[in-house]
Amino acid sequence: MASVTINNVQKAFGATKIIHDVSVDIADGEFVILVGPSGCGKSTLLRMIAGLETISGGKIAIGERTVNNLRARDRNIAMVFQNYALYPHMTVADNMGFALKIKKADPADTAGRVRNAAGILGLEKLLERYPRQLSGGQRQRVAMGRAIVRDPQVFLFDEPLSNLDAKLRVQMRGEIKALHQRLGTTTIYVTHDQIEAMTMADKIVVLHDGLVEQIGAPLDLYDHPANLFVAGFIGSPAMNFIAGRIEEGVFRSAGGLILPLPAGARPADAAGRELVYGIRPEHIRATAEGMPGTVTLLEATGSEIFAKVDCAGEEISCLFRERLPLRQGAQVRIEVDRICAHLFDAKTGRRI
Amino acid sequence: MSAIAPERTGATMQAIGESQTIRLAPNYWPFVVPALVVVGAVIVFPWAFTLWMSVNRWTLGQSRSFAGMENYLRLASDPRFWESLVHTLTYTSLSVAAPMFFGTVAALIFDARFPLRGLLRGVFVMPMMATPVAVALVWTMMFHPQLGVLNYLLSLIGIPAQEWIFNAKTVIPSLVAVETWQWTPLVMLIVLGGLASVPREPFESAEIDGANAWQQFRYLTLPMIAPFLMIALIIRTIDALKSFDIIYAMTQGGPGTASETINIYLYNTAFSYYDIGYGSAIAVVFFIVIVALSFILLMLRQRSQWIDAEGK
Amino acid sequence: MSSRLLNQIGLFFAALVIVSPAILFFLWMISLSLKFEIDNGAYPPILIPERFAWSNYVKVFEENNFLLYLWNSVLVTGTATLLALLIGVPAGYGIARLKAERSAVVIMIARMTPGLSYLIPLFLLFQWIGILGTLWPQIIIHLVVTVPIVVWVMIGYFETTPMELEEAANIDGASSWQVFRLVALPIAKPGIVVAFILSVIFSWNNFVFGVVLASRETRTLPVAVYNMLSYEQVSWGPLAAAALVVTLPVLVLTMFAQKQIVAGLTAGAVKGG
Ligand SMILES: Nc1ncnc2c1ncn2[C@@H]1O[C@H](COP(=O)(O)OP(=O)(O)OP(=O)(O)O)[C@@H](O)[C@H]1O
Ligand SMILES: [Mg+2]
Repeated sequence: MASVTINNVQKAFGATKIIHDVSVDIADGEFVILVGPSGCGKSTLLRMIAGLETISGGKIAIGERTVNNLRARDRNIAMVFQNYALYPHMTVADNMGFALKIKKADPADTAGRVRNAAGILGLEKLLERYPRQLSGGQRQRVAMGRAIVRDPQVFLFDEPLSNLDAKLRVQMRGEIKALHQRLGTTTIYVTHDQIEAMTMADKIVVLHDGLVEQIGAPLDLYDHPANLFVAGFIGSPAMNFIAGRIEEGVFRSAGGLILPLPAGARPADAAGRELVYGIRPEHIRATAEGMPGTVTLLEATGSEIFAKVDCAGEEISCLFRERLPLRQGAQVRIEVDRICAHLFDAKTGRRI
Repeated sequence: MSAIAPERTGATMQAIGESQTIRLAPNYWPFVVPALVVVGAVIVFPWAFTLWMSVNRWTLGQSRSFAGMENYLRLASDPRFWESLVHTLTYTSLSVAAPMFFGTVAALIFDARFPLRGLLRGVFVMPMMATPVAVALVWTMMFHPQLGVLNYLLSLIGIPAQEWIFNAKTVIPSLVAVETWQWTPLVMLIVLGGLASVPREPFESAEIDGANAWQQFRYLTLPMIAPFLMIALIIRTIDALKSFDIIYAMTQGGPGTASETINIYLYNTAFSYYDIGYGSAIAVVFFIVIVALSFILLMLRQRSQWIDAEGK
Repeated sequence: MSSRLLNQIGLFFAALVIVSPAILFFLWMISLSLKFEIDNGAYPPILIPERFAWSNYVKVFEENNFLLYLWNSVLVTGTATLLALLIGVPAGYGIARLKAERSAVVIMIARMTPGLSYLIPLFLLFQWIGILGTLWPQIIIHLVVTVPIVVWVMIGYFETTPMELEEAANIDGASSWQVFRLVALPIAKPGIVVAFILSVIFSWNNFVFGVVLASRETRTLPVAVYNMLSYEQVSWGPLAAAALVVTLPVLVLTMFAQKQIVAGLTAGAVKGG
């Protein structure tokens, strides 16, 4: 087990820069998730940590050791690939024991460790099967087993659940989390699914176009997004953004919608600037004396009601926990929870 | 590294990247080097040596002397060479056209499903796998003017007996028949591979649009398998130009020199007359002819591509 | 339903027609090899004789040193194929991973070069070294045929095996050589089989190299059969029997490994363009 330090790392393929400047400190035993939209460089960063891609600039250290010039096989890390990369010509047991066999470990010891890992993952009955004889979820587990057997310094996961169906994904999510709690190995996990990120991570790193947008605990990111990108990326359904400016102590949109200033906002800082008002759908309530609007879309899932409400030309998504007698086209009055609202600078995207 | 300020890391990026590429990426050259050495020894060395010999006056058993372009000039005014070039081009064009036609027809048939398809396809492929010399011997017996089975078969449908490979007029078409018999399967396999990669949907929509079978073939199948036809055409052309075994075993270029192609002339010059220098010059010119023709066909192929992805 | 059946029968007969030259040829070849001289000279020709001349086959082996030539063929083809696999499989792997298209072009040029143009310089070379009386010249020159086939087929196979497996093995601590031996090679086994079969067939069938390089003792089967033609005054039965013996191993291989051969030739040919 070890900490991982990523220091001003850059990556270019030929002339194209993919990772501009990324720095992340990962403590020993931490579960860190890299999230970001497709193509932002998550896999590339992970592969640089693994030693599968060269590092164009900056430094990566595992524990005390700088690994820039270390080959993948000398880094003592384990990686679970998106489509598992199980060796098709080896049984489950051989797949899991492969790394130890390469190290010329004692076969009896290897067998013991494989059995142990199989026990943890519920693979005992499948050890003699070949990968093609396994279901998707079982393969996923074998890939994890292969990583566990190694007892590496760091686990790397690249979207390990994206090939599974929704239900299995939820189950495996729990298993990976439990496994981490049990083994305590430093883990770096790539996903573009923000639910996975929120539920599993100790720390989330939000990447966008090869830059770190924000690093923090899941709820931190949810409560205090550093900028518009993170605010929009974390949370589902996504945060409402309303453009406007501060006038006479209230926020006024172009269409004339008036919203209360977020708690803690200092109007003096933002006076006269173009702003964006951010409020999450779940922080909007229906009340008797709020702003009037028209319901334009209604989706009820049973546990909650999702609605889009047109208020003075702004379409606002709302998530109501209570059963409201709403109809499409009906009038409704809504009120935002100013404790949970945010103001962003429209130009820089930063939260004020 | 850590001392370098972020804005300067960009500048050092290039240098670091390069020095690490060597260390991190697995080194694959050791896998290739043995083959490169062998290929160098068995393929590249002979080429260099041939070029050198072609500018020398050199008959085996006699002394060698530098000749400059003499051999090439002699080639230009050698009627037997020009004759062999004509034979080669005639032989090649016929031995490309016939297998292309029959091979495409066969591929269209074997692309469909019917009973015993696998077995029949296996038998169909056999001629191209059979040992050419063995095949040539049996064909020679079948071509026999008096005792051959072919003349008997002709007599059944009232065609007079032919002299086949024993007559200067019919020898090349007869040899082409054997070449066609042997190499139609290769064209079939390539085109079959092309047909297998053709998507189904356009045919279904054409069916709905009311296209008949011929129109579907003409406007859908043909353009879609065009790249594969081009590949077959190129390979067939190269192979037909190089054809040796069948011609040598059946006629040795005869009767007289009626079926002497460049390849046979090359063989006779180098290994019957032991004129190594002149033979090498023929080899060089022959290779240029092959490369030139292949190149022209490759250019045509670029044009026949129906999607870029095919261009692997 | 019945129109589909008619369609199938029609296709079957069309296929039969297009296959018939091959069927008739091989039938006639067998017939020739099993007839006595009188039957082979009969007019109209006889397909199935009253008495089978099995003695033709006995004669082939008794009178022409055929066993020696068979052994020569096995040695030349076997050695040339094994050497080609030994250097060609790793080379195919390296070229596929390096994406070294240019090395592939060398292979393509090898295909375009007429075999005869290798023969003159190598003939002289072997003469100088003084190995002309042995099988080595033929083994070495057969590499011109076998190495390109093996490399070509293997490039195709290694290109389709996923890179991720090898990356996983890398992370598991394997060296490049271990990755190749323990992961890439076992996965490419079907490709190796194809390369092996095609290499054997084309080396076995080769005639032009032997006709120049072989002496009386070092002939391979195709050369031996060809030479029978000039020595024996056209004795058709034994000649056809000899021809059949030469080509039989290849035909049997073709029948049994039809799928692999078709796959290999199609892939190789398509890439070869
Ligand atoms: N070998 C390469 N050569 C050139 N560009 C590459 C290479 N590998 C990746 N890229 C580019 O780098 C960018 C980042 O790729 P990466 O695979 O890291 O994205 P990602 O964040 O993992 O996306 P996804 O969520 O879709 O997996 C992409 O634009 C991709 O096209
Ligand atoms: Mg990715």
